[in-house]
Amino acid sequence: MLKITNLHAGVEGTEILKGINLEIKAGEVHAIMGPNGSGKSTLSSVIAGNETYEVSQGEILLNNESILDDAPDVRSHKGVFMSFQYPVEIPGVTTTNFIKTAINAKRSYLGLDDLPAKDMLKLIKEKAALLEMDRKFLSRSLNQGFSGGEKKRNEIFQMAMLAPKLAILDETDSGLDIDALKIVANGVNKLKNENNAVLVITHYQRLLDYIVPDFVHVLHNGKIVKSGGKELAFELEEKGYDWLK
Amino acid sequence: MDLQEKILTSFLQLENKGIIDLDSNIHKIREKAINAFKKTGFPTKKEEEWKYTSLKKLLKYDYSLFPTNENTIELKNVKQHLIHEIDSYKIVFIDGVYSSYLSDTTHEGMDICLMSSALKKPKYKMIIDHYFDTITNKKDSITSLNTAFAIQGAFIHIKKNTIVEKPIQLIHFATNTEKALLLQPRNLIIVDENSHVRIVEKHQGLNNDNITLTNSVTEIFANKRAIIDYYKIQDDIENNSLLDQTYIQQKDNSIVTINTFSFGGNTTRNTLEFHQNGEHIDSNLNGITILNKKQHVDNHTLVMHNQPNCESHELYKGIYADSATGVFNGKVIVNKIAQKTNAFQQNNNILLGDKATINSKPQLEIFADDVKCSHGCTIGQLDEMALFYMQQRGISKKEAQGLLLYAFGNDVVEKIAIPELKYRITKLIAQKLNVKLGF
Amino acid sequence: MNKYTEEDLKKELQNQEYEFGFYSDLNSETFPIGLNEDVIRAISKKKEEPQWMTDWRLDAFKIWKEMDEPDWANVNYEKPDFQSIAYYSAPKKKEKLDSLDQVDAELLKMYAKLGISINEQKRMNNVAMDIVVDSVSVATTFKKTLGEKGILFMPISEAIQKHPELVKKYMGTIVPKKDNFYAALNSAVFTDGSFCYIPKGVRCPMELSTYFRINEGGTGQFERTLLIADEGSYVSYLEGCTAPSRDENQLHAAVVELIALDDAEIKYSTVQNWYPGNSEGLGGVYNFVTKRALCEKNAKVSWTQVETGSAVTWKYPSCILKGDNSVGEFYSIAVTNNHQQADTGTKMIHLGKNTKSTIISKGVSAGKSQNSYRGLVHIGSRADNARNFTQCDSLLMGNNCGAHTFPYIECKNNSAQLEHEATTSKIGEDQLFYCNQRGIDTEKAIALIVNGFSKEVLNKLPMEFAVEARKLLEISLEGSVG
Repeated sequence: MLKITNLHAGVEGTEILKGINLEIKAGEVHAIMGPNGSGKSTLSSVIAGNETYEVSQGEILLNNESILDDAPDVRSHKGVFMSFQYPVEIPGVTTTNFIKTAINAKRSYLGLDDLPAKDMLKLIKEKAALLEMDRKFLSRSLNQGFSGGEKKRNEIFQMAMLAPKLAILDETDSGLDIDALKIVANGVNKLKNENNAVLVITHYQRLLDYIVPDFVHVLHNGKIVKSGGKELAFELEEKGYDWLK
Repeated sequence: MDLQEKILTSFLQLENKGIIDLDSNIHKIREKAINAFKKTGFPTKKEEEWKYTSLKKLLKYDYSLFPTNENTIELKNVKQHLIHEIDSYKIVFIDGVYSSYLSDTTHEGMDICLMSSALKKPKYKMIIDHYFDTITNKKDSITSLNTAFAIQGAFIHIKKNTIVEKPIQLIHFATNTEKALLLQPRNLIIVDENSHVRIVEKHQGLNNDNITLTNSVTEIFANKRAIIDYYKIQDDIENNSLLDQTYIQQKDNSIVTINTFSFGGNTTRNTLEFHQNGEHIDSNLNGITILNKKQHVDNHTLVMHNQPNCESHELYKGIYADSATGVFNGKVIVNKIAQKTNAFQQNNNILLGDKATINSKPQLEIFADDVKCSHGCTIGQLDEMALFYMQQRGISKKEAQGLLLYAFGNDVVEKIAIPELKYRITKLIAQKLNVKLGF
Repeated sequence: MNKYTEEDLKKELQNQEYEFGFYSDLNSETFPIGLNEDVIRAISKKKEEPQWMTDWRLDAFKIWKEMDEPDWANVNYEKPDFQSIAYYSAPKKKEKLDSLDQVDAELLKMYAKLGISINEQKRMNNVAMDIVVDSVSVATTFKKTLGEKGILFMPISEAIQKHPELVKKYMGTIVPKKDNFYAALNSAVFTDGSFCYIPKGVRCPMELSTYFRINEGGTGQFERTLLIADEGSYVSYLEGCTAPSRDENQLHAAVVELIALDDAEIKYSTVQNWYPGNSEGLGGVYNFVTKRALCEKNAKVSWTQVETGSAVTWKYPSCILKGDNSVGEFYSIAVTNNHQQADTGTKMIHLGKNTKSTIISKGVSAGKSQNSYRGLVHIGSRADNARNFTQCDSLLMGNNCGAHTFPYIECKNNSAQLEHEATTSKIGEDQLFYCNQRGIDTEKAIALIVNGFSKEVLNKLPMEFAVEARKLLEISLEGSVG
């Protein structure tokens, strides 16, 4: 589904990613772990197409098609979803209104008419229940005044609504207490199936207890320095990152 | 002869006295200034910048522009007006004339002299040409008036890499022995790179027998990484009025803080202009105004953000009792290239008196998009619930009020970096609010 | 066409004077350019006005002549030459079109974006319509419903004829002739406008809209509106429409007077979308409006405005809170793009006890535009327990525009409570990226964010109006981000 080859990227002339190779197939869960500053968040931003970062070399293919020239919204339409480490607040725009706009933008890209209000409402109710979201959050301004846990739950709710092919969870566990973590992980697990894939980006092994990866990659200094099964995560938790350097 | 005519005649007298070389640049500046003043005269309420402050009543007196007698005063009679508990440098003027007896200065790491000498002596020519009257507002007619007559006042030049440990006190006494006197001090303060200085400025009349009007102009230059803390203590007697214009220019990484405490005097107008000419500059403007009777204070501030990455923080608090009137006119202008500016402006007021008035104009003019600018203004009373709560715990209503009022101004007092001064200001506030505070 | 000067007029008048009587037969549809007492008399005559109205106009003219055009607003424009304007032109009959194909394609594109129905488009462009949506019959139904309630709603010229006592009693009492330069000019030369009277205790059953006004013939250059809500009545009034108005007249100087008597409530909503000029800043309408309301005891007036048009706007809908417990509200969203300049805001004059006012002003500046808020909150010495809350927010898009705030706060009463807040922000790159990631393109994202920013104001508009206004905001900002 996703194939990254020799990806080099950076910001304002400083190279952060120095040749990433990664292949994710449908139905798989991958985890990327690494110490602070290893380039984890850069990688997710580059896949999602954040223009702050410049790709100098390499290729990103989604279903065998390059997405490097696609704008972030087009990538989204093609099925890339990124759960933000720091979800952005938009005053005055309710979560419902926001997600409605996003869904209909995608439908329009796919040549479909707007989703009828009735169906939209049904979908929202269903997905909100999945995330055990209090419906009052849906009528509040997007992420404004939300706690850390509420923001992350809202991210996964949006993921549920948009049903992406590839979901990138960027440090989704940061700022979550254990109950919120379970709810979020549970949501992700329910959404997972053989046709989509998940890329979990995390510093700690904690989240991987709940979202169990098929593959774990260690990112260090802009390169994947080690790949393995889920046991690698435990090893990292025990030994830290230093032994890999 | 009305005041304006008298001023114009006096200017000719001053010229004839030969204090200033008629070929010098200074002479040209003065001539331009007197012409500018002649053209517009004293400001009236018709002008937008003077909409809420009238000088009419102040200008009806027959002021002398030059004191006729030389007055001396005993230290013991004025000691209370000086911060005498700590070591400090003092520059003292009596009716505009320098008093070497009361003053106490040094030449270590700095150059302090009279404005008249600085303008005259060849030694200062370069520096005067570079700085004098370069940042004043030429459209402000009373600044022009001051420029035309600039001989009184102090010249302070802090050399590079100098930390001035002791505060400098700049005190202007008015003996009020003339019938009515117009004083026009002119200060020029230059702080060179990496130097720090703290200055306390005060205008003090000694009795209410006569009237003194002071029209003061101060230019302050903060060069790179300079830090200046400036305190204006305005606790003058009832008869005296003050028109105070202060212009500040800052270079990269400098920090300038002007604290204005207005408690006394009849009419006070504070014009304060900051011009940021460098990056990473911090400008701070703090003020507390506490007025009663028929007092009037107008705080008129401008912060010009000319360069990127600078900050300004402005906080003015006002308490108005009886028939006092307060004016706050704050303007922040963010130039097109001044990206990443952070500018905050806050003006909070409490009206106590039945006939008290506050006029507030907090303005923003923003021409750059990547900035954080906000302003806020409140007018209100003390929190009834808080008053009740305190009374319920046995504090008298009056004391409770005093405490709440004190608390209202406290965040400005807390910014005072000289402990002795903080103590004095606290005492002055308590006195003015007529409350006992357990300090 | 050669300018038809005053000299020509005089000559013509001299020639015709004996034959037809002075001014009795001016059959030309447009008056000569320029302004003098004769022209004013002629306007009055043309409208078949009573003598008192003519005198009133002449008095206003006398006052105007002594006044100077104001220049304190934060706007720059070439001052109009008041002697080169024609002050009267009869409503031109619009050319009947057979189908929408004959309408300007640009205009049709705009309608489609605004979601205006085909029938409505036809109506606006004077395209022959089928029986179902015959606007005349709609209007007749309206008129009947209003008539049953005793509500008067008609052109001001008609009211001068039919209800002189009301017009005489109220016109010019809220905005006096000498109030300001443009108000004086309007008082002298107004030719068009609406009059509305809601009787005691009547709740107007529908939104009154200039849109459906009976017998209306195009909006005049100098509109005059007089709206009186008698004791205990309620009315919601809509002015303007979202569809772009191209107008030959460059200068618009309207006067709106609202009177809310004891316990009455008036809700006045405006959507202004006059031609703003092209992207180079050429052309466009100058909109200098004086709008003011008087609130008697327990009365409430609420101004809501969405301003997207005009090259230069100068407008401060105000409330005089004279009666105890009266309430004034001002909700405004002003969007400026390209070279537009807007200097707008409100005045809340608190005179009565327990008076309350709320000001929510949102400005969005894009392109090379300048957007200023200018407002006055005045608390008089007898206005015990007055309350005001003011919030002014500016959103800047790009680095060639400006957002300015000039509030005046005057308080002479020690029991008043006022709060004023203002912020300036821009649309964050992070907000845009977040929206993009969720599949919302940049243009749409901006619209979304601007709509969120304006929400508190849009929510105050009547339902259908709000939907259109939302779309209008989007269109106004199109192309503002590269």
